[in-house]
Amino acid sequence: MSSITVNRPPAPTDPSPRRRTVTGLWRRLARADKVGVAFVLPSMVAVIGLLIYPVLSSVYYSLTDQNLLRRDHEIVWLDNFRTLITNADFWSAFGTSIRWTAGSIAGQLLLGLLLALCLDKVRRFSGLYRVLLIVPWAFPPIIIGFGWQWILDDVYGFLPNLLTALGITTENVSPLADPATVFWAVLGINIWFGAPLFMVNILAALKTIPKEQFEAALMDGANAWQQFSFITLRHIRNVIGLLVILRIIWVFNNFELLFLLTGGGPGNLTTTLPIFAYRTGWGLHQLGMASAITVLLLVFLLLMARIAFAALNYWEREDS
Amino acid sequence: MHGTGPGRWPTSAASARPTRRQFAALAAASVAGSVTACGSDTRSPNTPDGVLSGDLLVWTSFTQGPRAEWMQQMARAFESAHPDVRVTIETFSWPDFYTKWTMGLAAGQVPDLSSALPTHVAELLDVDALVPLDDVIDQIGRDRFAAAALAEGEMGGANYSMPLYTHAQVMWYRTDLLDQAGLEVPSTWEELRHAAEVLTTDDVYGLSVPMGSGDMMATRFLNYYVQSAGDRLLNDDGSANLTSQAVLDGIAYWVDMYHTVSPEGSINYDVLQQATLYYEGKTAFDFNSGFQISGVQQSSPELVEYVAAAPLPRLNDNDSLYGGETSNTPMIVWEASDMQEEAKAFLRSLYQTEEYIEFLHSVPGGMLPALSDISDDPGYLDDPVLEQFADTVEVIDEAVPLGTAIGMENGPTVQASILTSQGIVERLFQDIVLTGTPVPEAAQAAEEQLNSLFEMAGVEMEH
Repeated sequence: MSSITVNRPPAPTDPSPRRRTVTGLWRRLARADKVGVAFVLPSMVAVIGLLIYPVLSSVYYSLTDQNLLRRDHEIVWLDNFRTLITNADFWSAFGTSIRWTAGSIAGQLLLGLLLALCLDKVRRFSGLYRVLLIVPWAFPPIIIGFGWQWILDDVYGFLPNLLTALGITTENVSPLADPATVFWAVLGINIWFGAPLFMVNILAALKTIPKEQFEAALMDGANAWQQFSFITLRHIRNVIGLLVILRIIWVFNNFELLFLLTGGGPGNLTTTLPIFAYRTGWGLHQLGMASAITVLLLVFLLLMARIAFAALNYWEREDS
Repeated sequence: MHGTGPGRWPTSAASARPTRRQFAALAAASVAGSVTACGSDTRSPNTPDGVLSGDLLVWTSFTQGPRAEWMQQMARAFESAHPDVRVTIETFSWPDFYTKWTMGLAAGQVPDLSSALPTHVAELLDVDALVPLDDVIDQIGRDRFAAAALAEGEMGGANYSMPLYTHAQVMWYRTDLLDQAGLEVPSTWEELRHAAEVLTTDDVYGLSVPMGSGDMMATRFLNYYVQSAGDRLLNDDGSANLTSQAVLDGIAYWVDMYHTVSPEGSINYDVLQQATLYYEGKTAFDFNSGFQISGVQQSSPELVEYVAAAPLPRLNDNDSLYGGETSNTPMIVWEASDMQEEAKAFLRSLYQTEEYIEFLHSVPGGMLPALSDISDDPGYLDDPVLEQFADTVEVIDEAVPLGTAIGMENGPTVQASILTSQGIVERLFQDIVLTGTPVPEAAQAAEEQLNSLFEMAGVEMEH
């Protein structure tokens, strides 16, 4: 028996590992295709101006005592952050943001999934139902805000008057003024608004599931729940995961809907972090403090996105 | 043959890449193009011979149709008289207005001329954002303006704002509802409470008590009560007063009224939501200026004949009348403007007698003349609405000289602006209503919060 020994050349080793330095960046830029760079440059300027500059500007102002009514400011380093973490209103707004986001996403997901599963079974007029069910998503937030404010008003509102007329309530209720109901009312409106996005995307994912898998499962004796959990859910979970990540960011950052509906009130009952930042910046003129709130918001959302992407990656690895 | 002449790109491999110099020029052109596109300045510099020219930006709060139309009309007339000037009018509601100018001030993007609230003027004076208007005032006639109205924009002997119109807060009621219930027009707070309770039915609320933190309505209502007791929301040393007996009584009075005669939703109401209830016949009483007349006319014309106003209620029947709140809505020219002469010329044009009367008639009874001689001008008095509501307008007219803007009893101060713009008094009321916090405790907390904001704004107080 003979053995063959292959003498592989030693892998080239770089005695000095390449370091990313500013000089290196300029050198690479100098070597780059200059026509290509010239074409990309306007877009880069736009991205830097519209995305990177505002973020860096917020980070910078969060370290200052900038007031909207003063041109000058001083660097206060982490003072704004120290003040915030000892501020009860900040933590109250943070808690409301968490409840608002978690409740909204859970409600939108469940309702959207339910609607998508129903629509997937509908054979006649399914296009019409889809259009009708997506209507809330098509409304601009200002219409939703003022529309629902009007519907729920205890003097003119359609709903409180209807409930009283039907004898369900003895006098007109005011869901947006009652501390016991205001949060649930705005949460319900946000679920009504956001569920169609989940519905449409989940429905599209449902359409891609091969029917043979359900037939095989049936032959193997799988019940409805097993078919749903082992086939349906596995096929749509990546879509759901991505939607959840996007919606967490959107809902957590949402300002206009809540602000239009309640202005964050009554009291601080619906004051989320974006509304708290707005009041701090534009109401109290404390731009430095407001920037610190937005920086904390950014850090928190990056962390949430990191966790969510890790879950997505895990599912993808499992699928493959 | 390959060429690199004008209008042709190099096509050979060797010449496909531009030289470093070409690249630098291209890059510079791209950046310059982007910057120019983003920040093009359409203003033309003033011509040296004194001819007015350039683009004049005017911000107003005149959101109602007729007033907005009048401003546009005045802008076009000014452009006809000064062909080198273009006037752009931008209109915002008062809450948006405040946000807009605070942002604009930070970014250096403010208009040339704008309307303002007296409390805004106080805040703007504090940051040197305005230019004196004494020359315009003297040209129009200083003695034609009420001294108290001019004083609201006075600092260091100069006047930085000019009142365009004036109005005062009075109590509005429905004559038909009072007649049906056999009630007299209330003249004291207790009489108002009784009448509002009697008139509260399934269809009508006695009075709405607005507490929305996005507006200053609760501060306004509290201020009426406090003024009637001869007290103030700001002490003489500039600190906040929410804990004197008169203020505590006032807070307790309005909280009680909220629970007994007001719709529950009024805890979130702003000025428009509050006024709409009266416009549509849903409340028997309300507090507002003469704008109430046009509001009812537009919303419920069938109710106009039952609308009337009386002086603000007093603590005791034999107390003298007082001014709950007078608003002299001013115009201002911004220090950052490079069109100050044009702005002042346009401002002057707004006070021409015929045009000015037309402006006042756009909301008859809502805007009373800031120029004393116009009040008696036959052209001004010749208006069907002013004739129909002569008694009501007289009530407002009598209240005007008695009051000031909220917190401006000692002239323009930044505290007056903070008091009315931060929603702190509104949240104080909401706190009491929602959580049952005792009145003195909630008042103490709100007072401390206000004083802390005053200090942050650089106010020195003696505690």
